[in-house]
Amino acid sequence: MVYFGIILGCLLGAILGMHAPVISYTYSSYLSIAIIAALDSVFGGIASVIKKNFDIKIFLTGFFGNAILSILLTILGNKLNVDIYLAAIVVFVGRMFTNLAIIRRYYVEVWSNKIASLKEKKENETDSNTTE
Amino acid sequence: MKTKMALSIILGLVSFVLVAIMFTQFKTVEQTDITAIETMREAELRTELTSWKAKYDEVQEKVDDTKNKIAEYETQLNSSQNTSDVINNEIKDYERFLGYTKVTGQGIEITLSDSEDKLIESLDLLKLVNELKSAGAEAISINDERIVTNSDIVSVNNRLILVNSRKLSSPYVVKAIGDKKYLESAIIIKGGYIDSIKAAEKAIDYVLKDDILIDSYKEEIKMDYSKEVEDND
Repeated sequence: MVYFGIILGCLLGAILGMHAPVISYTYSSYLSIAIIAALDSVFGGIASVIKKNFDIKIFLTGFFGNAILSILLTILGNKLNVDIYLAAIVVFVGRMFTNLAIIRRYYVEVWSNKIASLKEKKENETDSNTTE
Repeated sequence: MKTKMALSIILGLVSFVLVAIMFTQFKTVEQTDITAIETMREAELRTELTSWKAKYDEVQEKVDDTKNKIAEYETQLNSSQNTSDVINNEIKDYERFLGYTKVTGQGIEITLSDSEDKLIESLDLLKLVNELKSAGAEAISINDERIVTNSDIVSVNNRLILVNSRKLSSPYVVKAIGDKKYLESAIIIKGGYIDSIKAAEKAIDYVLKDDILIDSYKEEIKMDYSKEVEDND
């Protein structure tokens, strides 16, 4: 159910995005920062699901709040003539990597557990076979 | 069940927004023409602007240079116009000397006409012209044929008189511009021209005028055989 909703949203979003008009290059840089922030929130959400402390409120506020904040910071950086968006990218991408590492570790663990259990089963089967 | 439904809807919406923005961004990055000025970043525009300003300054300098040159040429043109004015005046003077212009001034008008038994000869006219020249006539014409340096006064068959190779007939009106007193005295002197003509029983009459108009010489003066020689003195 949840996966179905996500996939449907992705498909509709892809269709809309492909038909959306091209935006100005100036705003495109703000949009890219927002995308990075949103992606960071998504990976953070997945990691929190794995950690079993996922909260939809935190996810939603993180998703939109981070995006908007990063845009505002970039605008401020432009006004101050400081490349704040670089700091935002470093922070967000760094967090994305840590979250991805958490996800990777979890699935590797799951896989290794599965394989171990399969092996155990097999061994048990062979054991039972030999005992028979 | 209800919370799961809400969760899936919310997550669907979130992914919808994210993916839509991402695809828009992909498209933008892909389709943006870097050279188009509307899509340039501010920094790029600034560098472009400075380069254009430098170019503008350069071009402005060139314009100033060209303007100075134009002013120079104009002054030169004015000075050359002055010289050409001088030359034109000289040319006009020489034309006047040569007889290429109409001239007017004080002078004498002598009329010689054939009488019933005596005809005016070319020699009479020639003599008269010589007399007038020696009396300082500046311009002479016979029946409006201007006498210039290479004018001829000849007779054909002792009947026709040709001046400047044109046929003339009686009465012959000889006009001369110069000091009218000198001209008059040159021909009325005792034993002078008028006396000799009258002695030959030919009709002669003269009038002094203050506004004699003498026509210009119409032919071209040609120099086909004579060439200039450098003076070595």
